[in-house]
Amino acid sequence: MQVSNMKTISQTSPVAHAQLKSNAKWALVNGINTAVEFGSAEVEQARKKILGVTDVSCLSRYGVKGAQAAKWLAERQVTTPANPNSWSVSDQNTLVLRLGGSEFVLEDQFAGSTCARLASDTNRVPNVYKVPRADAAFILSGSEVLNMLSELCSLDLREKSLGAEEVIMTQIAGISAIVLRQDLNGEQVYRIWCDGTYGPYLWDVMVEIAVELGGGAVGLACYQS
Amino acid sequence: MTLRTSKQVGEWINRNKKISFKFEGEQFTAFEGDTISSALWAADQKVLGRSFKYHRPRGVLSLANHDVNVLMTDGIDTNIRADVVEVKDGMVLTAVNTTGGVKKDKSSYIDSISPLLPVGFYYKAFHTPRRFFPFWEKVIRNAAGLGIVNFDYPRILKRKQHSHCDVLVIGAGPTGLTAAYEAAQAGLEVTLVDENRQVGGSLTYDRGGETAASKQLNDLLIKVANQSNIKMLTGTYAAGYYPDHLIPVVSEGGINKVRAKTVIVASGAFEQPPVFRYNDLPGVMLGSAAQRLIYRYGVKPFNNGIVVTANDYGYRVALDLLEAGTKVVAVVDLRKGTNTCGAAITLAKRGIKIYAGYCVYEALASSDKSSVRGAVLCEYDNIANVALTKNKLTLECDGIAMSAGWAPAGALLYQAGTGMQFDNSVQQFVPSRLPAGIFAAGKVNGIFDLEQRLQDGKRAANEALRYLGLEAPQITVARPVGQPSDLSCPSHPYPMVPHDKGKNFVDFDEDIQIKDFVNAAKEGFDNIELMKRFTTVGMGPSQGKHSNMNAIRILARIRDLPVEKIGTTTSRPFFHPTPIGHLGGRGFHAHRLTSLHDWHQANGAVFTDIGAWKRAAYYPTNGQTKEQAIQTEAMAVRTAAGIIDGSSFGKIEVHGPDAAEFLERFFTGSYKTQKVGRCRYVMLLDDSGVIADDGIASRLADDLFYLSIGTSNAAAVYREMQRSQQMWQLDIGLVNVTGAFGAINIAGPVARTILSALTDLDLSYESFPISSVRESHVAGVEARLIRVAFVSDVGYELHIPMAHVPHVWNALLEAGKQHGLRPFGSDTQRLLRLEMGHPMPGVDTDGLTNPFEIGADWAIEMNKPYFIGQRSLQILAKRPLRKQLVPFVLAENFKGEMPMDCNLVVDGRAILGRVTSIAYSKFINRCIGFAYVSPAKTAVGSTFEIRTDSGTLVKATVAAAPFIQNQKGA
Repeated sequence: MQVSNMKTISQTSPVAHAQLKSNAKWALVNGINTAVEFGSAEVEQARKKILGVTDVSCLSRYGVKGAQAAKWLAERQVTTPANPNSWSVSDQNTLVLRLGGSEFVLEDQFAGSTCARLASDTNRVPNVYKVPRADAAFILSGSEVLNMLSELCSLDLREKSLGAEEVIMTQIAGISAIVLRQDLNGEQVYRIWCDGTYGPYLWDVMVEIAVELGGGAVGLACYQS
Repeated sequence: MTLRTSKQVGEWINRNKKISFKFEGEQFTAFEGDTISSALWAADQKVLGRSFKYHRPRGVLSLANHDVNVLMTDGIDTNIRADVVEVKDGMVLTAVNTTGGVKKDKSSYIDSISPLLPVGFYYKAFHTPRRFFPFWEKVIRNAAGLGIVNFDYPRILKRKQHSHCDVLVIGAGPTGLTAAYEAAQAGLEVTLVDENRQVGGSLTYDRGGETAASKQLNDLLIKVANQSNIKMLTGTYAAGYYPDHLIPVVSEGGINKVRAKTVIVASGAFEQPPVFRYNDLPGVMLGSAAQRLIYRYGVKPFNNGIVVTANDYGYRVALDLLEAGTKVVAVVDLRKGTNTCGAAITLAKRGIKIYAGYCVYEALASSDKSSVRGAVLCEYDNIANVALTKNKLTLECDGIAMSAGWAPAGALLYQAGTGMQFDNSVQQFVPSRLPAGIFAAGKVNGIFDLEQRLQDGKRAANEALRYLGLEAPQITVARPVGQPSDLSCPSHPYPMVPHDKGKNFVDFDEDIQIKDFVNAAKEGFDNIELMKRFTTVGMGPSQGKHSNMNAIRILARIRDLPVEKIGTTTSRPFFHPTPIGHLGGRGFHAHRLTSLHDWHQANGAVFTDIGAWKRAAYYPTNGQTKEQAIQTEAMAVRTAAGIIDGSSFGKIEVHGPDAAEFLERFFTGSYKTQKVGRCRYVMLLDDSGVIADDGIASRLADDLFYLSIGTSNAAAVYREMQRSQQMWQLDIGLVNVTGAFGAINIAGPVARTILSALTDLDLSYESFPISSVRESHVAGVEARLIRVAFVSDVGYELHIPMAHVPHVWNALLEAGKQHGLRPFGSDTQRLLRLEMGHPMPGVDTDGLTNPFEIGADWAIEMNKPYFIGQRSLQILAKRPLRKQLVPFVLAENFKGEMPMDCNLVVDGRAILGRVTSIAYSKFINRCIGFAYVSPAKTAVGSTFEIRTDSGTLVKATVAAAPFIQNQKGA
């Protein structure tokens, strides 16, 4: 039998198909081949200010649901948001999203290890069900982000309607997605997650609109520093 | 620019910027801000277009986006509404719907034979003899007018966006502006839309010869401009009403779907023309159109004009005409009595002759019918509504302004479900019962006095505030109470002037005259909806904005019923014709890609759409045709092995102690007795017993089932599972892992050999028989392996994390290189499963097929207490089958016309069923398929006939499935 080390198996961002046509610079992040630069730093900063679209699918994620999921996470020192459809930041800057009442998505930011720690616990516990995540994930930034989202989503995503701690599950460009608003490094951004198999489609749609509005693709490197 | 006036206060043109353009080959100049019509009218170009049916010359009618006889093309776009579209420098325009130009339209002869072409003539004239109908159809289609579609029209993206507000105010006239201001003052977020380029509504043109309106508008605009919480959208019309206050507003740039908490409709009213002979001549226009020409564009409507009116508004129009320098020859008022309104007194003081109780019996046309040369006046019998023709009076003039009343712009109110009733006092349909959160104000609400309209806007805003839970004082604005005959009534109850020679137009879009309604009623089309369809009144591009009210009045008169008994036709979105490009928007076509997509692409796959997925259908090599590629791939599976990317299959985990119970209720089979490590077939029905989907349930633990189901329905099945769980409240957890797990199916005689090189799992038949599941590693990747026999009796589905699929795929290809392994696509899969004798839901079933019809009785455990569709099956089981799916073969070495999917199974003229799948199998060298036949024809060896597309009958024989022999020890 041919034995491979799981960690050495090459993986690619689920969005990569849509990014291959650009002259992106690629790098392995969390073991996933990811587009880290789409242009010079000046170009990307300029796009980011107007409307930047960044693929952050490579960040580690862990999903769990079930009536005992909150308890299970708490036992593992993960602080969960108290309210349904809200999010918080746990240790190591891990985002903890509570979808509905009993489903959670955790996303480590760069260098976080909470998700890996939770994944290593393979014991099956009643009413705690692991939800394998294979998301395409994006950060949207810039002054025109709401302009773009108004074309993609029928919900009101403005600050006055989408609270700072709220998570919404909605349709973006016709597909199911999770959306939240976040202050990241001093700027307001929107985070979007969708099924990874829709990733290339959503990337194409968002970058097309971003370019029309004066922005464009921004590499992951912009958020790594 | 012979008709250009001096500068008007608040005019919409920029006199500092001259532009030039061409119309029908002639050069014209205009000012920036002119519409095409205003620029042409200023240059004394009166014939701007031709009518739809009779090709009569037409000019300005409304100048309010409803002049549908003045549609133009610039060579790229067509049906450009010249009355409102701003003329641009360098434009080259021609009128649509002419033969040889607008001035000398060769089709104008139709006008002279119009008596032969009454409404409905073509319904009767051309249907027999039937063989001539294609000829007449062509003639009629060629004659039917308006612009020619430009199939090379550039794709110009029109964005479709969403926005939200507390209050949406529709209409930015005085009422709407007031309502918006009042709502904004209370801190609400207001969106104000108006179809005009500039806000102000009637304050921008209805001045009655004074400047007060202009000042009032300025004051109002300053107040509104100071409210930062008012978003003003001009050049934007509210196109329709949808539930929960969703209103698409359309502008040149696209559609904005506004979701409002509350809506104030201050959309105003359309001025209605009186109906008299030749009321369509260029130079005869609505009073409000004349005012728009004057105050918005600085254009004098005519030099010597008559105002024919049936309300006080006409007197204001006359004053505005005087202000523009027009000599008002006379004011002709259908109403009798001395008018004491301010405008009438002023006119009298200025020496304008007023003919009270008179009508325009007919407008007199110039010799080429291109303009007005005079008008014949008669006394008007206001009871019988006829002209008293004994004492005719002819006045010379070059234009006529018409004011007979109003019709509410209430389309959105109707669409929202507003109860409308006819108010005799104002001779108008007004809201009587408004849906929650919707408020009407101003003219659409039957309020016409300006000060009252402002109050009504405030009232509506206050009601909207209270609806949103805020405090606001109650304001009452009463409509006037009186008789239609009162001189204060804004609309005349019957402003029609019959004429023996007709050509008194009710509907300018479709050239419909009074007599057409009479004829329609005689034919029995005396219901408003039927009359609309027979006469086509209101079916033109202006959608009856100037004709429906008069049509209702005429029908009421014909049937001797009050107007309220006639009712109105149905108002549907969109309110105004909207370009397809707007409706299309960006065009989101959501699709899913597997992690192997790039590999498929690099290896020459031809893709097909299955559900939301792009799947590799087949991989042609060396110039292969589709058929050749499929046969090559299928032969590889039969003789060696093949792999297919099955990542698109639906994959769902059912966790929990009640997982088996859930499956028992959800699917038709039995799962409580299923052993861990075994797989069972699942079939999902809907409540009516129709097959919805099927798949495999693999039991991974006592409390964990792993379902793999069809590609197309996966999302719907998961939704239905969630819905069912909401009802059943079992102790389970559902996890949709469709996108998280990919799948590869390796199948064929050497599949086991290839796979064994990549896993420690014992793959022998004894250890891992068909319909069993194992969890192990393949190429170092955690995998769920399922022994399936869908395309081959030696087959393994490998379910692995989506991101690792390329790694396993490549490892399999490498390991299988020496064994002849090759990829195959979904089209090949369909042939392979056909050879195996497996029907596919959605391919071999349709929206009515029950399990008995496909012989799936074996998959149903009827003795269970419950499963979805069980009750329907119990009923269906007692009924005789009407059709049954059978496998069939065509004759050996069949060389005739190949039947296709969906070809009918026939017996003489009787239809017995249809072919659901058919293909040539190279492996067994036979054409094989599935077809529905009558239950009497299902025995193996029975024959039936298939009718091909060309009508040829092909004999087929019922066969036994599978079509291929199972391999020993598979």
